[in-house]
Amino acid sequence: MPDLILSGVSKSFGSTRAVEATDLTFAQGQLTALLGPSGCGKTTLLRMIAGLEDPTRGTIRLGDEDITGLPAHKRKFGMVFQSFALFPHYSVRENVAYSLIIGGMAKPEALDKAQTLLDTVQLSKFGDRRIGELSGGQRQRVAIARALAQEPQVFLLDEPMSALDAKLREEMQVELRLLQQRLGITTIVVTHDQREAMTMADTIVVMSNGRVEQVAPPKEIYHKPANAFVADFIGKANFFDGVYRKDGVEIGEQAVHVPANFAAGSPVRLAIRPESACLVTEPGQNCIDAQISFVRDLGPVREYHLRTDIGPLIVEYAGTDGMERVAGDKTLVHLPVEALRVYPRAVA
Amino acid sequence: MTIADDIKMAPAAPKTPAKGVTPKAALYAVLSAVMAVFCIVPFILVIVISFGRKVDGAGWVWAFTFDNYQRFFVGILWPDEVTFLYLQQLGYSFYFAIIASVLAVLTALPFTLLLTRLKRRTQAIWLVFILASLSMSEVFIVMGWDILLSNNSGLPKLFQVTGLTQWLKDVGWFQILREMGLANPRNVKFKPSEFATILTMSYLVWPYAVILLYPALSRLDPSLSEAARTMGAGRWTITRTVTLPSIRLPLMGTTLLLFVFLLGSYVSISVFATPDKQTTAVAIYSNIRGSNLDAPFGSAQAVILLISASVCLYFGHLLNSKAEAR
Amino acid sequence: MRIGGHIFMALSALVLAMPIVVVCAAALNGGRSMFFPPRDATLARFGEFFVSEPVWTNALTNSVIVAFGAATLAVLIAWPVAYLLWSTGSKLSKALAGLGSLPFAVPPIVIGVGLGFFWSFTGGLGHIWSGVISHAILLMALPLVTISTGLQSIDRAHLDAAATMGATERIAFRTVVLPQTMPYTISGFFFVLVLSFNEFIVIFFVSASAYSTVTLQIFNSLRNGYTPTMAVAAITFLTVSILVFAAVARWGDLPRLMGAEQSKK
Repeated sequence: MPDLILSGVSKSFGSTRAVEATDLTFAQGQLTALLGPSGCGKTTLLRMIAGLEDPTRGTIRLGDEDITGLPAHKRKFGMVFQSFALFPHYSVRENVAYSLIIGGMAKPEALDKAQTLLDTVQLSKFGDRRIGELSGGQRQRVAIARALAQEPQVFLLDEPMSALDAKLREEMQVELRLLQQRLGITTIVVTHDQREAMTMADTIVVMSNGRVEQVAPPKEIYHKPANAFVADFIGKANFFDGVYRKDGVEIGEQAVHVPANFAAGSPVRLAIRPESACLVTEPGQNCIDAQISFVRDLGPVREYHLRTDIGPLIVEYAGTDGMERVAGDKTLVHLPVEALRVYPRAVA
Repeated sequence: MTIADDIKMAPAAPKTPAKGVTPKAALYAVLSAVMAVFCIVPFILVIVISFGRKVDGAGWVWAFTFDNYQRFFVGILWPDEVTFLYLQQLGYSFYFAIIASVLAVLTALPFTLLLTRLKRRTQAIWLVFILASLSMSEVFIVMGWDILLSNNSGLPKLFQVTGLTQWLKDVGWFQILREMGLANPRNVKFKPSEFATILTMSYLVWPYAVILLYPALSRLDPSLSEAARTMGAGRWTITRTVTLPSIRLPLMGTTLLLFVFLLGSYVSISVFATPDKQTTAVAIYSNIRGSNLDAPFGSAQAVILLISASVCLYFGHLLNSKAEAR
Repeated sequence: MRIGGHIFMALSALVLAMPIVVVCAAALNGGRSMFFPPRDATLARFGEFFVSEPVWTNALTNSVIVAFGAATLAVLIAWPVAYLLWSTGSKLSKALAGLGSLPFAVPPIVIGVGLGFFWSFTGGLGHIWSGVISHAILLMALPLVTISTGLQSIDRAHLDAAATMGATERIAFRTVVLPQTMPYTISGFFFVLVLSFNEFIVIFFVSASAYSTVTLQIFNSLRNGYTPTMAVAAITFLTVSILVFAAVARWGDLPRLMGAEQSKK
């Protein structure tokens, strides 16, 4: 199975640009997640890959073959829809056999193969049921089996978990990932849920406003976000706007030591994750005076909301240090150099 | 139906259609022709014939004369003699249609409101009942009311037997009924009368009123009136300040549609209205199929009825699209 | 207020049912004239209507032919128009749908007169086939609305799903669009059937007294006074209507067809 390659693919609806010119390579056998807030163009991108939308510009290639102009029914990429789009007028088995029968396979043979697929997704006994009689999780399994029946070269899923409740969602994410690894099929999942993306994906593509912001493995996306948007969208982050000076960032009166590759005087945005900052008692480098304004215990972590000279700041603390700090206490907050990230900032 | 059956009917994958005539274009052409022939030509014929001329004893001939319209508005002998007989008939068309449609909407509104608050299953049962009565032919309905209102059976008989007539005489209301033409010296008498005409016409469109109001009312957001209730509004205040303003436009649109429908009603008027209060629809009938055999004049009357209806429909459409836009 | 509401609804139902009940009861009269309450109750009139009186049996046959013919034809014309409107949304398709609804929107006497002229020029006047076409034209607005409702209720994702599984537009039409809109098509068919059965004005003008349907026959008999046999016709028609609409309610979503917001229940 060859790689799927997008070059300069963009899409406009009238005068609005849904997807900016995008270059992406989906490596064979890998699972890629398109991650972003709603309206970022990730679903449009997926639909262009499926052949359901024509790109305004650019080419889509599968290995050496240009498939840009190929209609969806000739690409035959299996796709799982947000609503699952199962046909209510057919039985479960007929839904799964649909692509085989319209592809010309003899009916008994197609239904046999559909049964095998139902076994794979643990729905052996449900072949004769109507779609209306299935639960959300069962429907999703049918949708997956149906999309895989035609043995597609690329497997596409559009927000596949959004119709499921939270607990089931986590289970299905793991299950889907295991199935995908077993079949070794090139897979693209659209999602707005970063946990889902990080659970399943080999590679995450973060998108916003029709643009690709970063392409990287999950770990790198979290620990080395390429820009302020990614840092904010993936996990939580504290942001401070300042100006870059030699070896540090100046935020109001306060200087924070952090070497970075910026010209002195350029506007920057400083970011730190809540679990990377910590409360200390001894002054030192990058220790800033703070007052606790609010404390909440979330079980695994305790969250301190602080007021500081550089602005509000949230610190997450896992574990117990025996120090019961309460709202109103004065303290010091330490921002470790290695946890700080500096991004360029556009000046309004 | 199984998937395999559906597929078997499906022909082999179509080749890309030839550049010249695509099936879609052919379909468009056929449908346009059908619509033009059957939905436009009849109206054009009516309009063209309305300018024709009647020939004594030999039907009518093609012509281009405004005589028929002149006759409608001021009479054939104008300017020597003026008659407004036909305008008066149109007036009665409007008179009966307006009162009957307003009456139907006013009584159908609370009913439909109550209907939409029932369970969906119960709603379906009511709708079956309403639709069945809606589809009943005007002929049957007139027959039913005719029996109900006739003097030797039905309601007048019931009035007499139960002593209601005597009671009315005793209280003195009988005299009022007589003045309204709803009683003869001995008993109440409901037909022919305006009362019977309007009652039957109202009855005729009442199910339509329910069906037309139903979508608008069933889409009313219940949380709006609940919000009003949490702010201390009583039921009547809610109806007045929340419900009515939000359905004002569909209400007027419905009234207009029913009014247009009733403009052409024929059977109820010919049976229940007194001879001096016949309407344009009855006149059209007697000119074209009845004893007068004056197709051009009948057509002219139909054109005028059509124009009146179109104007009303246009306003109804404006109101509806305004309602949709909100 | 609750109680008041129920009473009002019951009262409305009563008034609505009253003339119908009266007509139905009159069918039981033993004599030749209509009485209410009926005298010498008998079911002999049913025999006359369905079997022995050629005037009525012919009229019934004509009614059935016109109604079924018109319903079939109306659905056949309405389908492509509704489909073009839904799939392309083009100006031409909107114009076609508008034209198709026109005969139903104007006062029936006007379209009746117009079709009467039309058939007298084309030689169809007084033939039963012209009655079939006339009713199809008059009533095609109904399947147009029900089929459009059905098409709009199709989830576009179903069509996308069919495409990603290799279905061409034609196969998707056979396997997704047609089966999912079938209940709406049948509803449209039945609406035309019932209304055609009961229609009077248009068939009056286009039949030109050459044949009569049941409604025409009743109207013709009005002058000679009512006979209980006419009431049997009313009962028959009412029964057909109720059965048809009950079927639509049972197998289709009647509240939704009537325009209620879709609910998941």
